[in-house]
Amino acid sequence: MSEYIGVVACFVIAGMIAGGMVLLASVLGKKTPSLEKSEPFECGETPFSLPGGKLAIKFYLTAILFILFDVEVVFLYPWAVIYRKLGMVGLVEMGVFLGILLVGYVYAWSNKALDW
Amino acid sequence: MTPVPITDVALLVPELILVGMALALLLVASRIREAGVATAGTVLAAALAAVLTIWLMPQSSKSGFSEMITIDGYSQFFKVLIASALGLTALLSVKRVDVKFVRPAEYHALLLLAAAGMMFAVSSLDLMTLYLGLELTTLCSYVLVGITVDKPDSNEAAIKYFLLGSFASALFLYGMALIYGATGTTDFKAIALILSQSSLGSDPLFVAGAGLLAAGLAFKIAAVPFHAWAPDAYEGAQAPVAAFLATASKAAGLAAVGRVCWAIFKTPTNGLQFDKLPPEVSMLLVGLAALSIVVGSIVALAQTNMKRLLAYSSIAHAGYALLGFIAGTDAGAEATMTYAYFYVFMTLGTFGVIITLEDRGETLDGYQGLAVERPKTAALMLLFLLSLTGIPPTAGFVAKFVVILNVVREGYYVLATLAVACSVITAFVYLRVAVLMYMKEPVAASADPEDALSSRLPLAVSAALAMTALITVVGGIFPGILTSWAVAP
Repeated sequence: MSEYIGVVACFVIAGMIAGGMVLLASVLGKKTPSLEKSEPFECGETPFSLPGGKLAIKFYLTAILFILFDVEVVFLYPWAVIYRKLGMVGLVEMGVFLGILLVGYVYAWSNKALDW
Repeated sequence: MTPVPITDVALLVPELILVGMALALLLVASRIREAGVATAGTVLAAALAAVLTIWLMPQSSKSGFSEMITIDGYSQFFKVLIASALGLTALLSVKRVDVKFVRPAEYHALLLLAAAGMMFAVSSLDLMTLYLGLELTTLCSYVLVGITVDKPDSNEAAIKYFLLGSFASALFLYGMALIYGATGTTDFKAIALILSQSSLGSDPLFVAGAGLLAAGLAFKIAAVPFHAWAPDAYEGAQAPVAAFLATASKAAGLAAVGRVCWAIFKTPTNGLQFDKLPPEVSMLLVGLAALSIVVGSIVALAQTNMKRLLAYSSIAHAGYALLGFIAGTDAGAEATMTYAYFYVFMTLGTFGVIITLEDRGETLDGYQGLAVERPKTAALMLLFLLSLTGIPPTAGFVAKFVVILNVVREGYYVLATLAVACSVITAFVYLRVAVLMYMKEPVAASADPEDALSSRLPLAVSAALAMTALITVVGGIFPGILTSWAVAP
């Protein structure tokens, strides 16, 4: 079990940093409450509306693009860990992977998915 | 861990061609406004993939990527079949998909990627790669079913298909996890080795895993009781997409079932191969096949929508195709491959006729008096219907004959009787359409000039129909020519 102490320490430190920032911001931060800011909000949507109403698709597009690229780039980490063992083949394979990702990026760009 | 040699990429040449073409289409997607360019690209890639699959076939089977991917006679057969189905679907799409809301490049890119996933699945020797391939296929299929975003029923079909499909994928994945828990590996050969050396067969963990795996695979071939998605998805999808789902996707699913059965449960450990599948696996397949044949045939009787009718017919056909695997012999597996081969072409042909008739072809009433108005189309439809029923001298007869012959040889008399009896019921289903075409007067003689105009088919659609008709006829008369290269896994 001792090899997991590092993981636990990571959790604790990450929690302390995140919690500390929230705490500091709420203690030291300047507060100018307004009507819009006090609304419970989610993705910029109107908090209360009847189903079937129109909603801005822009947020979802951005979120989907973020998930796509973010999740796929996660594969770089395990690859980097065993990079030396994989050798040349690993490099080529990662090149192919990033190439495919780049095609997706160009596709998103050329179809104006990145325009706001 | 030994690094993978770069030469292993040679095993994936057909898949790489399809993926490459798909990426190329995506890169220029916003500039392609005409369907012709995308269709040409897809057909070219499909033809190239089929030719290279045959041309690059090594003397004996080869595997690579740490024993995860193989090329053998079995995968070669299905890869060529999938590539043909892809090419024909692309040709048939010319008429239906060139509308305002479907962008041709995206549509064809999705077809290409789905086909690449199928090819990947049929050549995999590991649960991980099998899952990846099947998942690539289904993810593309969800989008293809809902690609006409302006049509509510298309959206509905896509959502239903997506929900059920993701459940099935989750079951498959859970089954994989349980099998990994029981054996510590996902490699087919290694699982087979452990299975033959220990009492793994009675381990509840392994049995549950194998059952979940079977459920996931049964969903892919739409076998009862995992068939509920098929009629809705086919009805809501564009006819070419439904054709692609009914043919290529089903063939890939059948290939996966066969691969799993043969590589895990019927393996050459210490150079020996068992004669038959273990009785538990056979019984599972018997249940799926019998239910699919009975439910598919009987429920098809009540359909008035042509695509729903074909969906139930395809469910019944999945049951018939499974018969060969039930026999458990290599000859049985080859019979299933023959069945899959002929089924793909006759079903694509039937959908092709539906596509040529446009909106009229969607409902059963539209076929009323077709023989008077468009005799050639009606004759073509009759040929495919006879083949789907299994009447000689069409390919459908040969297909049904070989699978039933193989189960009879292995002593499944009740199952064989059931299959033959249900084929009489399906005769009523299909010949009802023939009766409507030939023995009823046309509803109203439409002297609409637009109708006459639309009856002139694009060359691509005619070519696809001619090819499917040719294979349906030639396959029925000289079955040996087309299926001699079916090799059991």
